[in-house]
Amino acid sequence: MAINILVRFNPARPKAGEEVRIQIVAQHAMEPGTRRDAGGNLIPANYINEVGVVLDGQVIAQVRPGPGTSANPLFAFKMRASKAGQIKVTCKDLNGQTGERTAELVLA
Amino acid sequence: MDRRRFLKASAGAVAGAVLASQLTSGLAQSALEGEDLANLEKGLQATLKRGVRDLTASRDVRLVAPSIAESGANVPVEIEVNLPADQVKAIHCFCDKNANPLLFSTTLAGVLPYYATRVRVAETAPVRAVIETKDGRFLMASQSVRVTVGGCG
Repeated sequence: MAINILVRFNPARPKAGEEVRIQIVAQHAMEPGTRRDAGGNLIPANYINEVGVVLDGQVIAQVRPGPGTSANPLFAFKMRASKAGQIKVTCKDLNGQTGERTAELVLA
Repeated sequence: MDRRRFLKASAGAVAGAVLASQLTSGLAQSALEGEDLANLEKGLQATLKRGVRDLTASRDVRLVAPSIAESGANVPVEIEVNLPADQVKAIHCFCDKNANPLLFSTTLAGVLPYYATRVRVAETAPVRAVIETKDGRFLMASQSVRVTVGGCG
């Protein structure tokens, strides 16, 4: 199952030159590898360790989260909205599962 | 104890606490609750090939984290850098007492020097934001987060 990613802009439609916050939430348990199940066995680590944010084909941010990132993690960035464009977010976890989401940044 | 005496006593205690916190904040950053420099050093070496000594505390780095977290499993952290965007290469974040001290690493290219996320804190310890600049400096801001329920177990 692919990792579900949500992308939101705040404000939703920024004016040209305005600061916009890009909020990304991935739906993932982010298993840190230190937790035990009911039987006392260690649950193997499986967390998202690669997140890429691309604006119109150009990488604008990359995150390498460690096991110390919460479940259903939030990744938030700020940029200056100079023009409309397409944001593409990709992520990958330790088991090799991937997720992808594109969102259109529309100026007011 | 009557009210008047109670007020007097508590005022004295508050004044003492304020004085103590001023004194300790003067003594560099050695007063952070739950500090574990050895573990932090391990994480820094593994990630950046740098040690605690290479970090400079800086007022240009603003780290927003709660001083008391309800649950260590979900601690909001916000990092903002008061430097031009093209000078900031990466934002790293560490927590002194986590089994794996590195919380995350972010490289920025074209966005403002800002990053927000939610992290796990195993037990009461300082969270440290380490900013890597283009000219190879490492700037740091620290804040102790008190945790009642750990986030890694």
